[in-house]
Amino acid sequence: MKTLSRFLIRLRNLVTGRRGDQRLREELEEHAALQTEENVRAGMLPDEARRQARLKLGGVESVREQYHAEEGLPLLEHLLYDLRFGLRQMKKSPGFAATAVLTLALGIGGVTAVFSVVYAVLLRPLPYPEASRLVVLHEAMAHFGGAANLSAPDVPVYQRNSHAFTAVAGFIGEGYDVTGAGEPFRADAERVSAQMFPVLGVAPLLGRSFTRQEDESSAAVAVISYSLWKERFGGSQDVLGRTIDLDLRPYTIIGVMPRGYDTPSGMGAIAAHALWVPLSLTPSEMKDEADDLDYGAVARLKPGVTMAQAQQDAERVLKIIQAKVPEAHLSISLAGLKEQTVESARPLLRILLGAVVLILLIACANLANLLLVRAAGRRREFGVRMALGAARKTMLRQLLMESLLLSAAGGAVGLGAAAAAVHWAGAVLPDSLPRLGEIGIDWPVALLAVGLVGMTGVACGMAPALASAKADVLDSLREGGQATGRGRGQHRLRSALVVAEMALALLLLVGAGLLLRSFARMMETNPGFVPERTVTASVALPKQAYPTQKKVDEFFRNLGERLQELPGVKAVGFGSNIPVIGLNSGRLFAAQDYVRRPDESFSIASNYLTAGEYFRSLKIPLIEGRYFDAADDAPGAPLVAIISQSLAKRYFAGRDPVGMHIKVGPNYQYPMPPMRVVGVVGDVSDNPVDRKQDTEMYEPLSQLAADLGPMGAMIGTQGDMHAVVRTTGDPEALEGELRRVVHQADPTLAVTDVQTMEEVVFSTQAPRRFNTWVLTAFAAVALGLALLGIYGVLASSVTERTREIAIRMALGATRGDVERRTLGHAMMLGVAGVVVGLAASLALTRYLASLLYEVKPLDGLTLAGSVAVLLACAVLAGWLPSRRAASVDPMQTLRSE
Amino acid sequence: MKSKKDVQPGTLALMVLKTLDVLGPLHGYGIARRIEQISGDLLFVNQGTLYPVLLRLEQEGAVDSDWGPSENNRRARFYRLTRAGRKLLDAEKRDWEKTAAIIARFFEVKAEDLA
Repeated sequence: MKTLSRFLIRLRNLVTGRRGDQRLREELEEHAALQTEENVRAGMLPDEARRQARLKLGGVESVREQYHAEEGLPLLEHLLYDLRFGLRQMKKSPGFAATAVLTLALGIGGVTAVFSVVYAVLLRPLPYPEASRLVVLHEAMAHFGGAANLSAPDVPVYQRNSHAFTAVAGFIGEGYDVTGAGEPFRADAERVSAQMFPVLGVAPLLGRSFTRQEDESSAAVAVISYSLWKERFGGSQDVLGRTIDLDLRPYTIIGVMPRGYDTPSGMGAIAAHALWVPLSLTPSEMKDEADDLDYGAVARLKPGVTMAQAQQDAERVLKIIQAKVPEAHLSISLAGLKEQTVESARPLLRILLGAVVLILLIACANLANLLLVRAAGRRREFGVRMALGAARKTMLRQLLMESLLLSAAGGAVGLGAAAAAVHWAGAVLPDSLPRLGEIGIDWPVALLAVGLVGMTGVACGMAPALASAKADVLDSLREGGQATGRGRGQHRLRSALVVAEMALALLLLVGAGLLLRSFARMMETNPGFVPERTVTASVALPKQAYPTQKKVDEFFRNLGERLQELPGVKAVGFGSNIPVIGLNSGRLFAAQDYVRRPDESFSIASNYLTAGEYFRSLKIPLIEGRYFDAADDAPGAPLVAIISQSLAKRYFAGRDPVGMHIKVGPNYQYPMPPMRVVGVVGDVSDNPVDRKQDTEMYEPLSQLAADLGPMGAMIGTQGDMHAVVRTTGDPEALEGELRRVVHQADPTLAVTDVQTMEEVVFSTQAPRRFNTWVLTAFAAVALGLALLGIYGVLASSVTERTREIAIRMALGATRGDVERRTLGHAMMLGVAGVVVGLAASLALTRYLASLLYEVKPLDGLTLAGSVAVLLACAVLAGWLPSRRAASVDPMQTLRSE
Repeated sequence: MKSKKDVQPGTLALMVLKTLDVLGPLHGYGIARRIEQISGDLLFVNQGTLYPVLLRLEQEGAVDSDWGPSENNRRARFYRLTRAGRKLLDAEKRDWEKTAAIIARFFEVKAEDLA
């Protein structure tokens, strides 16, 4: 209580600046006067009496100081004083302060931003209870691609026969045209097994999820997402029992999932879906013999079951499947859902993290250097202050305050930048990074970064201070602040720091160079078609309105004709798939007379069903034979196919493929109708061009059912098509027209993904563009910091050696000699940095391999280029100091000493 | 030269309180004189140091102060003990006596007492 009230009084005094100075002076006056009178009464002469009184009173100043100390809060006051002093010091050398703050900000900001992203994507738990027990099942075909999902008929096999899991849930993404819930829209939905909800362990917020019985009986029930509930049903409780139409079929809403309930989707991603309906595999799906590894399966390990045991169990189940389709050479593998969701992003994140650590190291080295140089420059100041009686403690305290000020300023700027960067990253990062919605600035990490870099700042700020404080006062004064003998060790340390910086910068340069080269390679890669002057759009025909393939074909023929009439349109085509978007529906095929190796699996090609002038609209070159024409669409026309060049080369090696036949199905003996190959076209990139490519086969959309022979009746229709329109004019101007014409043909249709093919290609390049951009930016920052580092060391070295240079010049050295010497110093630092950096690059670039495209990790051109850039920067950094060294006037310098 | 002792930290405040308790309101010089007289000139006090102590006591609420006329009719600051100050004095006095008693017993102890 007492202490508190005293503190408050003192604090008030401090804040209001109220001082009892006047009162004290008066009291002391009176005290002295009374004492003097007493002394006089005791018989002293007046002067002596006054003198004795003063003596007895003691040093007025020290009393005042004590009094003052009692009055205010000395600790806080000193702190404020030191703060003002520090700010003054910063103002006195704004260049130094700005550089130091910027260096710190880069370190802190970079680390925080990247850590936040890494943390959000890699480390934060999945939104399911005991998520580490969730696994994903993958089947793979021998010699064909990597692990994929399951084929539809295999899902129930695992569901029925595995013992290692509490349950296995299958899922597959599906798009629906939703009507009966406000404005019609296209919903990203998912068909899931009834087990999906218990497997993930998330209960509905409202209502219930569907039962196994509903799943098996194809009941028309739907569970909707929180956002759909809010947006379309106003979050009302009576949504249960209402119906919505999915592709015109009415579904009853039975449940609402909680906010943020994302479900596994595709390969290793967690994504938001608008609604879920029962998987209820159709008979035609159940007939798919292992050719469509598209159906995801997620399962929860039973308590006590290990991953290895589960793997054995799954392999046991696989034997049942293998007995049915031995040719598939299937294998099964399990992966943790969590590992799976981050796997694709891991190389990128690891490299970003590595880059940031490098930047942080460079920033620390640079900061240390800056502070060392500054301390050297202030030796005289310290000497003078110590000679005038400054306590070592006080000086250390002030230096600490200066360092803290710098760190705080750097931290503030850095955190601000990090917050902005994280915000920006959410918008810019490629969608391929899982769970991007969860990214926010991560405070524990931010504090860690601030603490780390701040500590470096303080340590580096204090180290020279300690050294200076130890220094002999007289020495530093006598030398007039010029570094000699003792400064050499410090100089060596600074040079070592710069060499380290250069080496780290080179490492980043090489990394960025490799990515840039990969990017250039990607841009050079011919996608196999001409994206310019072409517009594309997705048009999906609901099965209820277009129940037969004939109706579908008619619609697209009609639409093609309408589009063809638009001014400037050169060619109109439709494809079930378009290049580069990576939407391959792989199809099993068998080539006539092709003999498979004994261990070779099925032949699979990316399958494109086309209508209209698909090849002309994309300008896919014809190598041999002919394109499809209208005659192929006639009823009863002979079955035809077009294959890509590499398919022709591999499966019809040494023969003329035109006139040969291929079949859909696992082998050529299969009872499927043969299709005659009528043309060979150039290869196109099915995936983004920097990814592994497949081979392609094309069939006329109108022959879809016939191509499948006995299974044709079951396959249903293909109404989801991409329109491709080539124009002579501006393709963007065509986008509105395209929409309008589709709506003219059928006003109920949803037209989505309307964009130019150039935009399509551009967006598939986004992930690589991002990687490249980030690493290049990092390399630029590193280079800038290293440049500053070299410059700092050389500039201070020139300042310290002014006298030496003057003597050299007086003894006959020319300006050229001096300039060369300084530049030589820069080059020496640069070369040392290059040697260390190259060694590091040789050891480390292989970790980049997974991000490279058609460039080797030890690409000579990249290495040489990076070295050249670094050395050029060293020379650039050395140029100014060398000019200054050369402009030393020997007479003036020596006279002024 | 007669040796003088420096005042032990904290004891000056106690002396001030006791002086004000015995003599009633006094100005700074008066307090200093009394302490000097009572300690028989054995204590060496830079009299100025008294004022920071007075300020602290005032902040603690142990003393109160006001301007008043001095003996020669000039303005002087007079200090008087408050109730809180009297309580503080009592507490400090008991503490001090206890400490003194303990120390005294240590000095009285002889080797045979502990045998």
